[in-house]
Amino acid sequence: MTRRTVIIVVLVCLALGAVIFAQAATVRLPGNDQGYSPVQPIAYSHRLHAGELEVPCLYCHSGAEKSRHAGVPSASVCMNCHRFVTATQAQVQEEEAAARRAGRDPRPVFSPEIRKLYDALGLGTDGKRDPSKSQRAIRWTRVHHVPDFVSFDHRRHIAAGVECQSCHGDVQTMERVSQSSDLSMGWCLSCHRDSNARAKADRDPHRASTDCVVCHQ
Amino acid sequence: MHLNAVDPNAGRAEAAAGAGEHAVSRRSFLRAAGFAFAGAAVAGCDRALTHRIVPTLDQPEGLTPGRALHYASTCGGCTAGCGIVAKTRDGRPIKLEGNRDHPVSRGGLCAVGQAMVLSLYDSQRLDHPTAGRERSSWADVDRTITQKLARIREERGAVRILSCSITSPTTRAVIERFLGSFADGRLVEVDALSASAILDAHLRTHGVRALPRYHFERAELIVSFDADFLGTWISPVEFTAGWRAGRVLDNHPHRMSTVVQVESRLSLTGAKADERIPVRPDEIAGLVGGLAGLVGARAGRRIVTGAPEADATLGDLADRLWRARGRALVVSGTNDAGVQAAINAVNEALGAYGTTLDIEEPSYQRRGDDSEVADLVGQMRAGRIAALLVHGCNPVYELPDALGFAEALEKVPLSVGFADRLDETTSLTSYDCPDHHPLESWDDAEPVAGVLTVTQPTVRPLRGTRALRESLTAWTGAGERRTDRDILRAHWRDHLFPRQSAHPTFDGFWDETVRQGFAVLAAERALRAFDSSREIPSPAARVGSGMALVLYPTVAMHAGQHAHSPWLHELPDPITKVVWDNYASLAPVTARSRGIEQGDIVKVTVGERRIELPAHIQPGQHPEVVAIPLGYGRMGTDRFAGIGPEWLQGRPTVERGQTVGTRAAGLAVLRDGAVQLPDVEVEVAKTRRRVNLACTQDHHQIEEPKEIGGERRPVVQELGFAAFEAGERPESHEEELRSLWPEDHPMRGHHWGMVVDLSACTGCSACVIGCQAENNVPVVGKDEVARHREMHWMRIDRYYADEAGRIETLMQPLMCQHCENAPCETVCPVLATVHSSEGLNQQVYNRCVGTRYCANNCPFKTRRFNWFDYRHEDRMENMVLNPEVTIRTRGVMEKCSMCVQRIQEAKHEARRLGTKITDGEVETACQESCPSRAIAFGDLNDPDSEVSRLRRDPRNYRALEEIEVRPSVSYLALVRPGSRGGRHG
Repeated sequence: MTRRTVIIVVLVCLALGAVIFAQAATVRLPGNDQGYSPVQPIAYSHRLHAGELEVPCLYCHSGAEKSRHAGVPSASVCMNCHRFVTATQAQVQEEEAAARRAGRDPRPVFSPEIRKLYDALGLGTDGKRDPSKSQRAIRWTRVHHVPDFVSFDHRRHIAAGVECQSCHGDVQTMERVSQSSDLSMGWCLSCHRDSNARAKADRDPHRASTDCVVCHQ
Repeated sequence: MHLNAVDPNAGRAEAAAGAGEHAVSRRSFLRAAGFAFAGAAVAGCDRALTHRIVPTLDQPEGLTPGRALHYASTCGGCTAGCGIVAKTRDGRPIKLEGNRDHPVSRGGLCAVGQAMVLSLYDSQRLDHPTAGRERSSWADVDRTITQKLARIREERGAVRILSCSITSPTTRAVIERFLGSFADGRLVEVDALSASAILDAHLRTHGVRALPRYHFERAELIVSFDADFLGTWISPVEFTAGWRAGRVLDNHPHRMSTVVQVESRLSLTGAKADERIPVRPDEIAGLVGGLAGLVGARAGRRIVTGAPEADATLGDLADRLWRARGRALVVSGTNDAGVQAAINAVNEALGAYGTTLDIEEPSYQRRGDDSEVADLVGQMRAGRIAALLVHGCNPVYELPDALGFAEALEKVPLSVGFADRLDETTSLTSYDCPDHHPLESWDDAEPVAGVLTVTQPTVRPLRGTRALRESLTAWTGAGERRTDRDILRAHWRDHLFPRQSAHPTFDGFWDETVRQGFAVLAAERALRAFDSSREIPSPAARVGSGMALVLYPTVAMHAGQHAHSPWLHELPDPITKVVWDNYASLAPVTARSRGIEQGDIVKVTVGERRIELPAHIQPGQHPEVVAIPLGYGRMGTDRFAGIGPEWLQGRPTVERGQTVGTRAAGLAVLRDGAVQLPDVEVEVAKTRRRVNLACTQDHHQIEEPKEIGGERRPVVQELGFAAFEAGERPESHEEELRSLWPEDHPMRGHHWGMVVDLSACTGCSACVIGCQAENNVPVVGKDEVARHREMHWMRIDRYYADEAGRIETLMQPLMCQHCENAPCETVCPVLATVHSSEGLNQQVYNRCVGTRYCANNCPFKTRRFNWFDYRHEDRMENMVLNPEVTIRTRGVMEKCSMCVQRIQEAKHEARRLGTKITDGEVETACQESCPSRAIAFGDLNDPDSEVSRLRRDPRNYRALEEIEVRPSVSYLALVRPGSRGGRHG
């Protein structure tokens, strides 16, 4: 082996080490998806809806109260508001002004994202079912996911008064949702243990169980 | 139970929603995740898998993803018409349970009924009609069949519908209307398990061809001649519930009926009977005649003519029957009208009509007429039948070969089947127009007079099938199209609604009936008096010599209708414990004298016909009998060649081109207008070949380690009824034991426990399949079972006690005992099995590394190890998986969890609603399915719970008390009259 080869090998090793060292802060254990923030088919903003407009979480994720799944709302739930709201107020006012200038009736204005919702439902711009359009389900990308050997139940946590934010982070500030906790077993258990200690202090009969079968069925 | 009212459109949207959310199966996820983890370790920055959530566009009202909906319906597994409640999750039915309020089945559901949910997801069900075995379309089939039928109408040709017993009033009306459009149209009913002789006998004695309704709950003394009423005879769930009601030991006053079983093979009823008399099958006629003579003598009149001399046993039986008159019942499963007429005479003399059996409000569960079938085949052979429609039966497979149905079928110009696949019959018919699965269809039934049940769809049809009534309506007259639901509703509005008065409007009546699954209407009661003017000749005793043949249905296969269900094939037969095969059962003494051993292939020659089968040695069977189960050798069962894991030493469950087991139905004969056992001498000869019968009999034995003697540990305790009444109790060691363990795990909240009543358990194995469906227990195939690797979380241990040549059979359901001092927990090196604060022995799959120490240390041998990934051989069957229960991967241990997912669900709901769990709110799958309600489950910390009450019962004992493992499951000792008592293991 020549001296040159040895130097090259050492340099490559050093470079690799440097790369790994530099990424150490972001390297996660397998299965840990903290920070995962996939692009969704419709750029739905939780910041706008849950933050600015203060729509309660359970208005859309109504399953959380009565089912293990919080659920993603049906398109018909979106339409409760978006039958009337199809664009930002500024866009609507702009169109109204333009119509006034041109001396015509204002045309319906659609933001491109809300147009996707209407397309999925096969609706025309008048909000009526357009038979020439086919209906197409919206395929959202799941953000929070626990392994299949874990059975998480939303309703129990809602009933116990756990805030949505304590697991999902400050969703009302997120333009696009990202996973804020690591959803690891240790993270679950630390909360169960803390609330147990609190319940004990408050003499509350309801305890967060740490039995295995509570999550692993 | 809360039942959901049906929304006919709900299933469609549900199905759409469910498909998206579960597009990735758990198992495929785990496998993919394994690769992904490896990838993630390298890449370390991106997420492994993308999961989609696809919500419905418009959520149907009342539907929340993740919440189960329950629909009341009717089981279509046989014609008994038991009530079911189908649990659906996200649009898929995943579990069937008995309908607790149902007047016929009273909450139980047998193994076959439990397995109906799996056959829904059978990908081999036809997706289209066929013409000449080739794929066709409904439009084409309708056009050609309508044309051909029109020509038959013009030519005044004969049209016949051959069907299994039709209990549905609407179907009968539609068939009548269809057949009425022809000059010569007739419905012929045939039952694969025929009760034709009982109906014929009632025509003779009561002037009506009907099947009486048997009320076993009112009988104190039941004498059964070869009627396996707890196992397979007519309506076993109903009869088991009735039998159970006659045996009450946990409430005062005690009730204890007695069952005397006269039979040739060991049946489930025989195993549970209090007295059992093994006889040759051809001796029964003489015995019934003798008994009729003796009972007549007690009654002071002659009830049969020419009764033979009878022996002392019969004299004693007649005395007891006479003393119990009004509370006695005599039944027979023999398909000989002469015998059945004598049985009727005995029942009449005993005053049983109107008390323990009812012919005035009869049962419609069997309506078949074997002699009509014989006439039909004759006409077919003579070319006098222009069109034959075959529904709900498989005559080429089920009927005796001597009838020659297959050859006669070739002479019929137009033959149409309605089977869900090309089977023995529909592969010979000109067309097959597949009918829906019972879980996909609307239907109704009147199993017993006055009880009308409704079948409602729980899912949109998965295959391109069409309901029988829609097909017939389309072919009647002017090609009218009506949906099945409309046909059904119209019939109910016009014919059944007027029979009730509780509901003022039809819609109210219909909605309530569909919600609860049944309606009890005024029965069309007709006074049927016993016609004493007609003489009943004593049945002629024709006792042959040599060996006699017995063909019998098994609990799992019946007559072969369920041969495509892997669950039922892998269900150990309650008596023989053999899976995946049928066999020729021989008594031990017979086998020994011929040098035949278990698994030897024997040649059984019946007249000119012979079949070859492996031999099975069966204690308790009459020595001159060879007994062969029906229902095997079904066409297309070589599909199971792919079941079980593929590995070097693995052997296929069935070879390609072969069938599972051998068909035996062809050996029967038609005699005196009924399908009967052949009365010729049967030759049984050993061949040189042998096979390995997969028999779970000696698996998981509970015995001491070999080093300290290897003795069997007694786990079943038995007491005689008289001794129990005199104060005898099961053996207990509780007081003398001192535990090595400190009392440091108090259970302050709930303490879940179970009590199994061995007196009530018949061993019918409904619980085994119920558990399999609930807990995603895989099917492993014949070879794996032969290697002791069956995965059932609960098994029914069957013990024989041989007392002076008399076989006594004991059954004990055994599942994880959830020991308080669990031996498995102390040996697990990774703490994958630990105790919960509520007394459950938890198994944590994701922590298990598969050392199998726990299984070795389990004294009850209830732990099961995943040697492979046991995936469904039919991928569509993945849809039956319960999403609440983790799928176990290769290399982990599993066992009964006491349906912890159901406990959790109840707790979640109680917390949500701010209530407490009440006793009986959580039911385990085994408990729920049990037709005799032998299993109780609940909170031992609640002194008023059912399970606590039973724990205080004097019969209560815990298995292996002497080793101080303190199981949370306890047993109530078996108490029966005529038993000497003792401990068995």
